[in-house]
Amino acid sequence: MANERITRDEVLDRAPGLPAFPRVVVEILAALDDPDASLELLAAHIRHDPVVTGKVLAMANAAASHSRRQSDVRDVFTATSLIGVGRVRETTLTTHIGHFISGLAEKGNGAGFWQHSVGVGICAEELGLHLNLHLHGDMALVAGLLHDVGQLWMSRFRPAESHACWRESRARAISIDAGERQCFGTDHATVGAWLAEHWALPPPVVAAIGAHHHGAGASNHVLLPLLHVAEVVCNALDIGARSENRVTAISRAACERLGITWNAGIRPLFGRIEARSAHANQIFTNN
Amino acid sequence: MRTRTRYLPLEDTTPGMVLGAAVQVNEHGRLRYSLPAGHALTEDNLHQLAIHRAEYVFIAEPDLREDAQVAVDVALAARRVMDIFDGADLTDPTMAAFFDQVLAYRSN
Repeated sequence: MANERITRDEVLDRAPGLPAFPRVVVEILAALDDPDASLELLAAHIRHDPVVTGKVLAMANAAASHSRRQSDVRDVFTATSLIGVGRVRETTLTTHIGHFISGLAEKGNGAGFWQHSVGVGICAEELGLHLNLHLHGDMALVAGLLHDVGQLWMSRFRPAESHACWRESRARAISIDAGERQCFGTDHATVGAWLAEHWALPPPVVAAIGAHHHGAGASNHVLLPLLHVAEVVCNALDIGARSENRVTAISRAACERLGITWNAGIRPLFGRIEARSAHANQIFTNN
Repeated sequence: MRTRTRYLPLEDTTPGMVLGAAVQVNEHGRLRYSLPAGHALTEDNLHQLAIHRAEYVFIAEPDLREDAQVAVDVALAARRVMDIFDGADLTDPTMAAFFDQVLAYRSN
């Protein structure tokens, strides 16, 4: 099952062959703690981005139709006042990452991959709210949207070996990351973290992507266990209804770190995650 | 009559649907709008929820399925959950507790 090892140098040497990572994502995350800067950045960006403008106007018009406004919403400022800055920022992040992933994914596999990514992003956001974590929801969303980006690198640059490795992992009923470590000496989570660091994403996002199969790493940031549990919940709820949706492990330490208790009180959270994931996938299906 | 409950995005709700749980919309730590469980949504409620930026509501609907159909649906849902957890160690207490909640949620 062993192949030539995948190294950090190989991953970064080949990174320029990927579509350009959207800089606006890094800029928005860097400005999250400064609401004024965040708003200025969004306004400046959206003015020059017809795709995001179109999505924001569509969401605002959907809200306006429920709120009995008579006229169409035709400008971004009115739209932002209607749906809120938070949703505009979320739309901007999701639209750009969606386009990036759609340019990176294999033909025919992009939709399922994207549904799973959106599901994990929403799940991380909702878990963070449910647990009252001191964490900006957009940080959790971006970590979820990008958590499996290492798989896309492997699929693009080591296609035959990667697909054989994933098939064999499923056949042997071992986790995909364990199978990858046997095949390549590393796994897609680590490859994703190398890429995220290369794109200058915030250190907690980098560490969380690298740790999403076990929830622990060099960093003690709460995003690590959060992203791990979010991915497990997303698979358990069968979001995207993918054949790859499997639950093989959940870290007790991660659950304890988050203070999450698996009792009947958690079931409404499952419902909210499903509703929001379905809603978000309706909006962003055409990425 | 049995009822089924589910979360629905606000865009998919219509007047007449009945709330399965109370709605409370908070802004900046203050309660801005609320509706009780069991309330039948009106057009004005939907208007208020939209302008308060609610994203989803919990709806209770009549379950019109026959008992046999309910049993089939529950069995199918349970089978899918079993497939997803096929490689999981259910002797691990954390995994077992998580599995139980997913199965119970799907059996609703």
